[in-house]
Amino acid sequence: MFHKIMKAGSKKCIVFMILCSMILPFPVSAAPIPFFEKHCFECHDSATKQAGLNLSKLEPPNAENFAKWVKIHDRIESGEMPPKGQPRPPVADQDAVTKSLKAELIKAEQDAIKNEPRTGLRRLTRSEYENTIRDLFDMPGIALQGELPPDGSAHGFDKNSDALDISHVNLAKYIEAAEHVLNIAIATRPNPPSVTTRRISLANSGGFVAHIIMNGDGVLLKDKKPDPDFPPAAEQNHIDEGAHERFGSFTNGASVGLFRHEDESVSPYFIEHVTIYPGLYRVRTSLWSFQWDKGQVLPSRGTEAARLSVVQLTGDGRGGQHPSYKLGYFDAPSMDAQEHQLVTWLNHNELIGFNVASLAPVANYNRKGRAMAFTGPGIACDWLDIQGPLHNVWPPVSHRVLFDELPLVEFKAADQPGVRPPQRKQVRQLGAGKNRPDPTPGLWTVQSEQPLVDADRLLKLFLPRAFRRPVDDEVRQVYVAKVEERLKAGDCFESAMRWAYRAALCSPDFLYHVSTPAPGKASRIDDYSLACRLSYFFLNSMPDGRLTDLARRNILQQPHFLQMEVDGLLKNPKSQRFIDDFLGQWLKLRQIAATDPDKKLYPEFNPYLQDSMVAETRAYFRELIEQNLSVSHLVKSDFAMLNEKLAVHYGIPGVTGSQIRRVPLPPDCPRGGFMTQASILKITANGTTTSPVPRGAFVMDRLLGQPPDPPPANIAAVEPDVRGATTIREQLAKHRDNVVCASCHAKMDPPGFALEAFDVIGGPRSRYRSIGDGDPAPRGSIDPFIGISFKLGPPVDATGVLPDGRAFKDVLDFQTLIAADSHRLLMNLAERLMIYSTGRDTSFGDRDQLAAIVANTQKQGGGIRTLIHEVVQSSLFQNR
Amino acid sequence: MRHRRRRVFAFHDFVAMILSLLWILSPATAEEPKLIKHQITGLFAPDREKDLREVFEQKLPQFKLVSIDFKNAEASFDYDPAKTFPGAKPEQIIERFDNELRNATRHTFGAKPLRTIEKDKLKLIEIPIVGLDCKACSFAVYEMVYRLKGVEQATSSFKEGKLTALIDPEKIDRTEIEMTLKQRGVQFKPQE
Repeated sequence: MFHKIMKAGSKKCIVFMILCSMILPFPVSAAPIPFFEKHCFECHDSATKQAGLNLSKLEPPNAENFAKWVKIHDRIESGEMPPKGQPRPPVADQDAVTKSLKAELIKAEQDAIKNEPRTGLRRLTRSEYENTIRDLFDMPGIALQGELPPDGSAHGFDKNSDALDISHVNLAKYIEAAEHVLNIAIATRPNPPSVTTRRISLANSGGFVAHIIMNGDGVLLKDKKPDPDFPPAAEQNHIDEGAHERFGSFTNGASVGLFRHEDESVSPYFIEHVTIYPGLYRVRTSLWSFQWDKGQVLPSRGTEAARLSVVQLTGDGRGGQHPSYKLGYFDAPSMDAQEHQLVTWLNHNELIGFNVASLAPVANYNRKGRAMAFTGPGIACDWLDIQGPLHNVWPPVSHRVLFDELPLVEFKAADQPGVRPPQRKQVRQLGAGKNRPDPTPGLWTVQSEQPLVDADRLLKLFLPRAFRRPVDDEVRQVYVAKVEERLKAGDCFESAMRWAYRAALCSPDFLYHVSTPAPGKASRIDDYSLACRLSYFFLNSMPDGRLTDLARRNILQQPHFLQMEVDGLLKNPKSQRFIDDFLGQWLKLRQIAATDPDKKLYPEFNPYLQDSMVAETRAYFRELIEQNLSVSHLVKSDFAMLNEKLAVHYGIPGVTGSQIRRVPLPPDCPRGGFMTQASILKITANGTTTSPVPRGAFVMDRLLGQPPDPPPANIAAVEPDVRGATTIREQLAKHRDNVVCASCHAKMDPPGFALEAFDVIGGPRSRYRSIGDGDPAPRGSIDPFIGISFKLGPPVDATGVLPDGRAFKDVLDFQTLIAADSHRLLMNLAERLMIYSTGRDTSFGDRDQLAAIVANTQKQGGGIRTLIHEVVQSSLFQNR
Repeated sequence: MRHRRRRVFAFHDFVAMILSLLWILSPATAEEPKLIKHQITGLFAPDREKDLREVFEQKLPQFKLVSIDFKNAEASFDYDPAKTFPGAKPEQIIERFDNELRNATRHTFGAKPLRTIEKDKLKLIEIPIVGLDCKACSFAVYEMVYRLKGVEQATSSFKEGKLTALIDPEKIDRTEIEMTLKQRGVQFKPQE
């Protein structure tokens, strides 16, 4: 295995060395020299060297200065150079010089690449690895990526071969992961674990909730009234939780009405179920909301939202405070219980967590009068049922993938002298779960009458699926030989096969994307590689049976089939992985929680709002694809994807409930497009204040595909002034007085100025918030149960002028200007999709093909789904 | 007057104890069910009598509850120890009975041997407490107190706002009880 990896690495090294050898003679043709002398040397010769560029001494393009030459080409082509105020070169001269430069650059690139594949050898990313295992074994929620080392990132994505190195740490973790996968996949009992259904009260034994409701942060309710056996905590709290548990106060069928949010010291968990057997579980719950008024239960202000999550217990079983992942937000209508049901995979030692997501953080715990002095909203949970593990077949699919239909029998050492029994890992349940493991039925394992025949047969089934392509007999025989070796060493059949499977899951054939050239077309990938490229693009995982079948029939590359498959893949619910992964990196959604907004300035911010922000962006992109909407929607739209939380945040009336849906926008509303979505506005702010610089840079880079140069060294960052004395625009004006800064800021700042109309958490604003000087702030749409202490500082100025001189008076104006440039927006998105799907950066020479993709898309109406199809149909996508 | 009543109680106690011992120690036969009296813990308020009856009817039918003496926190049962607890030594009977009762009631009821100390040697103290009108809270306060060494019997009710304890003054005093309650968060009624 290591030998193979080294071999693969060597190949990668050769590619790298060839690229490095781009210190090649790059003879700039004669055409540019007179042009440079006439139009450029005045500022960029050895005497002037403005912006550090000395064209008279610039070496012919090599690995170090290739990007600089590309920039020179781009500046001349766009007319940005020579700068305003200088004599314009004749158009013919300008065309000639750019044509000449372009030809030289492309030639140099092609010489460097020659016949090597463009995409370097790359391993699976963490999420690709996890998804591949999930799909290979039909274990849709097994958690693996958290245990693997983080991936790097290159050219904006972690799928790039430049970022996916491998070390002994990765290998050690892959071995651990493979062991874990096989432990779960292999059936070790003749019958499935018994299916149990447990009804759990939120105030369950061992959880936090019972304790806090004894102190007024919640109440027990019966028939929509306070439970007469458990009066609400008032001047006095309830005494002794244990005594109440023994008295059955929390298990008498009462609903739990909760006022208090999850926080550092309170984690509401349904701790009576702690998963023993990984698998699918059906979760049902009944929720409603109410207005609590000092002992009275009244109709609530509307539909509230509760969050269910999955929490992995660690260490001593007390929980890790933070949910491992969220199951979703669920409506709790006023006084009318709504049942919710979902089926989810739960791993060992995972349990269900709860939060009153839409409520303001309140705590009656030590407040005078506790619940009987409190008036405010509450969410009631009648119960939560958890049923499972659910198995349609036994042994499960994961086991059949490995052992097909071989029978499970009890291992009896006496019948098999000299054979080592299979190893079994003892299951240890953490926490206060009341579910119990089934009695151990003995030592059960698969039995084979013809071990080597079966080994060969099973590996013949498994290896092509795991390696995502046909596997030579020779390769398979290597694994069979190892099985034979282990059998001779005294392993039982399961252990010997397990060895082979573990080796396969740690082999480069499994861990790496292997792109094989198509027969007769060295530059193209074959159909199996194409199936993988499609599948890892849209499902972030291995190809399914249908794609593999098309590849086997060698018809996948046909445009008609490709078109159909792309549509099918986008319809597949697993394509949400593409949406999440692509947006997570393209629009930096993975960084949504990188900053915590200042609690004094933005007290209305909470995790529910943050999750709604991310959900909006994902749902919006999904809608753009499904409806094949034009690329201008990236920045301007007549609809938004909102739930109640976001709609209130944006000031849009008429949206109720936690679920994201399409909401039409009035003409004067700037929401909808990515640029004005709260997620993007939060990601581009620092939690305390906004700056036009990072926001402008984000728009330039991520939406327009024109990343600004990094700031020069020794230039101090602009510090925010939260006291409200000066605006960021005033500070930037001083910054731009520096000539070194001015040229870049002229491009970067205008988009940022337009987005000054939105605060750190994406809320609309006409004045900056201040914690120092200012006028009293009106509450606006902020929850009345949230205290506000910020003031209103200087007014916001969202006007600006684009580098080409076009002015805008507000963000709506700005959106209109940007949305009109659909070519640039499409070029950028095409390039991002290409980098993401092929795992390599686009090169200078790819520009013409990208332009062709965009032109074809525009001819068909400019829809984003069309663009995706054009990307897939292109030779750029299908090249190695 | 009060003095004489205490003597009567003490006499009854003594008789009950002797009878219990005799019944327990006498050979068991199927034809002669035995009436056995135990002190019951968890009888902290009069309405707990009903709870106790339900427990024996629904969960412990092998013991027939004949009568409850709330004042003395005692109850009489009709059962045959030799049959119900075969092999148990006489001194183990109450322990076994206690286990059965505790397991059936999540430790909200229990049993212990009848009091041996004469009632006139005990002192009744009454502590005014404030809290929620909650049965479990009353039980919690009762439990805090009756477990103390020297407390022979107790009642509690937040509804009535008082806790009573029948204590052996040689082993415990009011201050110690109040201290225990205070440490566990129980508040006292302000003195008028």
